[in-house]
This record gives sequence, C-alpha cells and structure tokens, in this order.
Amino acid sequence: MTHVPIESLLRDLAPQVLGTLVRRHGQFDACEDAVQEALLAAALQWDAEGVPDNPRAWLVTVAARRLVDEWRSDSARRRREESAVALELPGQMQPADQDDTLTLLYLCCHPSLSVPSQLALTLRAVGGLTTAEIANAFLVPEATMAQRISRAKQTIRHSDVRFELPPEPERAERLRVVLHVLYLVFNEGYTSSSGPALQRADLTSEAIRLARLVQQLMPGDGEVAGLLALMLLTDARRAARTTPDGSLVPLAEQPRERWNAAQIEEGVALVTRTLGKAPIGPYQLQAAIAAVHDEAPSDSETDWPQILALYEVLERVAPGPVVTLNRAVALAMVKGPRAGLALLGTLDADERMAHTHRLAAVRGHLLELAGDAVEARAAYLRAARMTASLPEQRYLALRAARLT
Amino acid sequence: MKYMIMMFGAPSTMLENQSREWITEMFDFMHRFNADLTASGELVDAEGLADASQAKTVSLKNGIPVATDGPYAESKESLAGYWIVDVDGEARAIELASRVVAFIGLVGAPPIEIRQIMDAPPEL
Repeated sequence: MTHVPIESLLRDLAPQVLGTLVRRHGQFDACEDAVQEALLAAALQWDAEGVPDNPRAWLVTVAARRLVDEWRSDSARRRREESAVALELPGQMQPADQDDTLTLLYLCCHPSLSVPSQLALTLRAVGGLTTAEIANAFLVPEATMAQRISRAKQTIRHSDVRFELPPEPERAERLRVVLHVLYLVFNEGYTSSSGPALQRADLTSEAIRLARLVQQLMPGDGEVAGLLALMLLTDARRAARTTPDGSLVPLAEQPRERWNAAQIEEGVALVTRTLGKAPIGPYQLQAAIAAVHDEAPSDSETDWPQILALYEVLERVAPGPVVTLNRAVALAMVKGPRAGLALLGTLDADERMAHTHRLAAVRGHLLELAGDAVEARAAYLRAARMTASLPEQRYLALRAARLT
Repeated sequence: MKYMIMMFGAPSTMLENQSREWITEMFDFMHRFNADLTASGELVDAEGLADASQAKTVSLKNGIPVATDGPYAESKESLAGYWIVDVDGEARAIELASRVVAFIGLVGAPPIEIRQIMDAPPEL
C-alpha cells in the first residue's frame, strides 16, 4: 500500500473513531488527543505492516487504550471527576457513526468558539489533520496553533455542550455556522496568496472533502449541495487563476482549457439537481453564477443577462455590499460600464466598503471599460494602496501601469 | 544570529511611477530573494505590511485606549516590510540588505535598516 490511501483512509475514519470514543467515554478533549495519537500510531504501523482487517476497530481500540492510560496517569481526584462526567452523558441512543460526524462538526463549529478556533478544531477533529499540518496551512507557528486548539477544547469542556445534535429549533442556524466555517477554510486556501502554494491548495481540497462529507450526510439540503457545488466550480479554475510566478489572471483572461472539466461537471450537476427543489439560498445562487461562468466556452460568450438575474435574486436573499459590487460588474456587462459605475456610486457611502480595496478595483475595471484611462488608473492605484494581498497589489499596479 | 532587515517607504507609491517591466522585475526579484533565503535555510520570516494609509494608531486619551486612523507619517519613515534571517553574522545580514538596496534604491526607495534580534546567548 502506498502512503496516500492510508492517509485518506485515516482522515475518513478520524471523525467516526472520535465520535465513537466521545459517545462511550465523554470528555471530548481527552478523546480528541487519544484519537490523534492513534492516528499517528496507525500511520506508522500500517505503513510498515499493512492495514488491519478492521481499521476502524483498530483505531477505536488503540485510542481507547491511550485514553485509559492517560486517565490512569492522572491523579485519583481528576479520574473521579472524569468518570462522573462520562456518566452524565446520554448513552441510551446509539445513532449511526454518520450522525457522530455531524455532531462533531456542530461541536467544532460551536458559536462559543472564535472563528479561527472553529476552523482549527474542525480541521483537526473532523478533518483528521495534525496540528503541524494545520499550522502550516494557516502560516502560523505550530505552538500558536496547538495553543489555539487547546483553548478551543477548553472552551468546549467548560461550556455546557453535550455530544449530541443541536436541538431542532437551533439546528438550521447551527448548520449555517458549519457551512460558513467550511466556506472560510476553502477561501483561506483559495484567495490567499502568501506562503507555499501547495499547502494552501491542500486547504481547498480539505474544504471540498468536508463539504462532500456533509453533503453525503444531508443529501436533501439545498445549501449544503450549493456550498459543495460553489467550491467545486470555483476550485475548477485554480490552475488557470495564477501564472507560475504567482501573478493573478482575471477570469476573462484565463485559459479555459486549463479549467478542471470533471469538477465543473460535478458542480453543475449538483446545482442543476438542487435548484428549484430545495429552498433557495446564497450558496446555491453563488454556485449557479459560478456555473454560468464555467459553462461559457469563452469569456465573450458568457451569459451575462443570466448572471445579472442571479445576482438580483442573490441581493434579495442575502443583501450586502459585496453582492452589490458583483451585480455592478454584471450590470456593466449587460447595460454598459456607465450603468455599472452608477450602481457602484451607491456603495461610496457604505461604511463596510471603507476599508476594502475591492470597490476601487472594480471601479478601475469599469472606468477602463468605459475608456476613461486617467480615472481608471487613479482607481487602480488607490486599490493597490488598499489591498493587503501582495499578488493583488502586483496585479493592480500592473493594470495601472498599462494605462500610462 | 538573528537579524531583522527592515524596508521603509510605501511600496504602492513606489510602484505608481514605474513601468510594467520594472514592476514585474521587482516582484520577481523579491520572489527570488525569498526563495534563495529559504533554500539556504536562513529565512525565519518575511512579511510585507499593508499600506500605511490603512494603519490605526492606538493611544491613551484621558486614560482610555482609543484607536484612530493614521499615523499618516512621512512615508519614508513608515515600515513597509521586513525579513527575519538567521545568519552567520552581521556581515551576511549587510550583504543581504545590500542586494535589496541595490535593486530598490535605484528608484529612490529609502535606506534599509538592520537590527540584531536579542536572542544571542549570554557571553561568558
């Protein structure tokens, strides 16, 4: 067996094993440590001796043994407390492992945790990544990430969170948080530019893997399908989105033959299957927009009226300045750059746009389309000053330089 | 020994008056410089800072910490980015800084500053 299948097998099993352990013993944080150790042991041993017949049972046994060892080494007082906690856990029901994975996701994305903690904990407990891998992906020192994860687990221990699915009335809102966390993991990998590119790509793949997992667990949910589709349809353009030296290539100039056809096909199929059957939501709409872009044989053949219509719906469902910004681009493509610029004008007073370069960048683009090179250049330069992303700064400075 | 190599000025202003070729070359230079430092094992950290126009200043006003926009300092005095390198000694840090200065100094970028980081073992 090669390395990759063992690693992906371990990642698939990680949340199931952790779910079983927490259900049996309570104490999410101690179980999580034990599962990490078991995963590490498995990675070493299976590589050398082959994968056992029942890998899941192997992991549960080894992790449970680690857990017991850990408890034995602790003081008697602490042990009594822990068994008391374990007894309080509802053990009457034995739902399938699948529910365990969902329960874990809800737990890792608990609203009492900060967003960076939610991301880190999800990647470790549900994604089965090591602390070092997560630290690498977020470009922070391993000690920082270890501390972040440890604090997150402490928060969960001290809050009254039980290892069970959130009660029905809260569930939709909690799912929204879970999906947002997966979306942020994806974005972290996709939009970020610093650091070794490969590690960042790993983050998008991991987000897609987790979204796919949730989609399998909740096949009827339109927004879950929408998020997975959005990720697939966006990530499909990854290879065409940057040049080898790291500069950004705008959508209109990307070589479409480098887009990932299989991912586009899967994403389009998901959107098509979902739209109209489930309540419409922002992820489905964004996925539908991405699908229109991805299905256009060339930039000039893009169905802009369709994209504009979708942005109009999106603005009703989930209004916000970024949606308006994107709608302005679509509007410019349908009704001309001046129409788009007029819509952009409505965002000037928006506080939420005061600290982003995106308004100035889009304005530069539309002014350039309108043939106003002087104002376009000024807008690009303003955007270049405001961005915190190096490749974007480079792109915008080059755009401006082109207009001199 | 660890050193911080500090670059001052406003990169965006610096970029404003340059040609496309120069901008491309500058990014390539920085990319290569970092790649070389990574390959030699000397790079600890390197970051560029977002433009000073986006900065906030936090200071005590009547005993309460208050954040204000700015400082809008003279751009030449504003930190633009830094490298932290772990090198044999000061001479190597100066050599590295010289490479950067030789490139960006040509277009009027402010001088680069080198400071030793206080992690040296105590002298016996």
